[in-house]
Amino acid sequence: MSRKFTILLLALTLCWTTIACGGPSETNPQARNVSAPVATSTQLSNGQYPVQQVEYNDADGEYTVFLLNTPPGKPPVIRTQNLQMARLTEEEIKAGQKSYLKVENGQPALYLTEDFKIEYVHNVTETQVNPQTGQQENVVVRRETGFWSPFAGALAGQAIGSLLFRPQYYVPPVYQPGVSVIRGYGGYGSSYNQAVDRYRTRYNAPPAAVRNRQNFRTTGRIRTPSYTRQPTVRTAPRINTGSRPSGSGYGTNTLRPSNRANPSRVRRPSSGSFGSGGRSFGSGRSGSRSFGSGARRR
Amino acid sequence: MTGWRDRFSRMTGRTRFVVCRLFIHLAGQEVAPLLGVVNRSARQAIDAEGDLKILGEGLVEICQSLLQYDEYWLSAANEGDVFWDEGEASDYFNALFTDSAERYLSEPDVDASASEFDQPLSLPVTRNVVVMITVAYEGEVPELETDLSNVSALKNGLKAIINLHYQENLQAIQVHFSPAQLGDELTNDQLLQHFPELLPL
Repeated sequence: MSRKFTILLLALTLCWTTIACGGPSETNPQARNVSAPVATSTQLSNGQYPVQQVEYNDADGEYTVFLLNTPPGKPPVIRTQNLQMARLTEEEIKAGQKSYLKVENGQPALYLTEDFKIEYVHNVTETQVNPQTGQQENVVVRRETGFWSPFAGALAGQAIGSLLFRPQYYVPPVYQPGVSVIRGYGGYGSSYNQAVDRYRTRYNAPPAAVRNRQNFRTTGRIRTPSYTRQPTVRTAPRINTGSRPSGSGYGTNTLRPSNRANPSRVRRPSSGSFGSGGRSFGSGRSGSRSFGSGARRR
Repeated sequence: MTGWRDRFSRMTGRTRFVVCRLFIHLAGQEVAPLLGVVNRSARQAIDAEGDLKILGEGLVEICQSLLQYDEYWLSAANEGDVFWDEGEASDYFNALFTDSAERYLSEPDVDASASEFDQPLSLPVTRNVVVMITVAYEGEVPELETDLSNVSALKNGLKAIINLHYQENLQAIQVHFSPAQLGDELTNDQLLQHFPELLPL
């Protein structure tokens, strides 16, 4: 009996480990076809890699780091939004240490010399009305490039100095057109949110990378200018065309959109849905749901 | 109700995204002032050009007002889903925006002419207000990921949304409301027709 049980247990363990190994790769292709030859931070094994060039794009806050001496089979470029930075100490610089990228537990951190220049790609955006949908949207009208030196200038040697040698998140200062090298930083923190918050208290506005990710939508009359000084006198209830009540709505979405070819067909995963209609909450009317009859559940 | 995939994804350390939508229907003679609260939040959101932080502050105000109006709650509903892919969560969130928006008439008001100024002051007061709140966040909030069609669960859910704002964990926010402003009406028939999922509390 116990032998049978052991066999069963071993078989189950084998199944489990097989699934555990096979699982992530099955979901990866989606992520991979967005950025094909580029490694995400976790794909690079732990270690130190000399840095050739770093690029920062303020459209989405993404760093592109070009590396040297990556192990064979690993791409020499990583692209990530989750990148910490630190300054090299004076001793390390004296010892001839150059800027490098250190990967620890899948978390990349850049160790930079004081005068290291990150290429800064600034996207000039304008709010335009899309003639097809009538919705306002942010459009990149021009790209400008400059350089950003996060650790250059008067910062070194100040009271904050000791903080600089520890990897932290940095947000670049506000972009100044015509300035070839932007020095210093707009915000820093042990988390990205903290860095953004420091930036916000300094400039009273979110950084470009955060602002550009915001997708703001409104409906109804709240956008029309006359709405703020609406007439308060109205004799009869407005006659609605049809049977719909009036209403308004607004919303901001900072989640990165999927680059799927056909986003109108939203596929919902089969697990984990919840709601007041029981397990398969499907009384909403959007027909793209993968379940739900649309019948009223009472 | 957490499936195998859910448990497995948690094990592999992927980020969990939750998108959820709440419907709250308030009924009574005194519910109309709530329209002032939601409209003020909407205007602040537009002035800030959709800054998520400002929207979050507005959302907190709305949730607090809703909690104060708890004796007028008549029915509610909620729905949501868990995602392990940010793009899917984003698509679902946008789909929910469209779904919420199609329940009311959001055409700009063109007939508000100046001639109305001569007429005597009288406003019909709506007896029904529906507020739809949709949020997306990272992580897990059990208070929201459940059936909220009873008063105490709904209260906890609204409090959880307020906490999410202060934890800076909200990734996306949308608020819809009907009727649009004081003077518009939402009748019981319209309620039945356009908000069929509402369950009595």
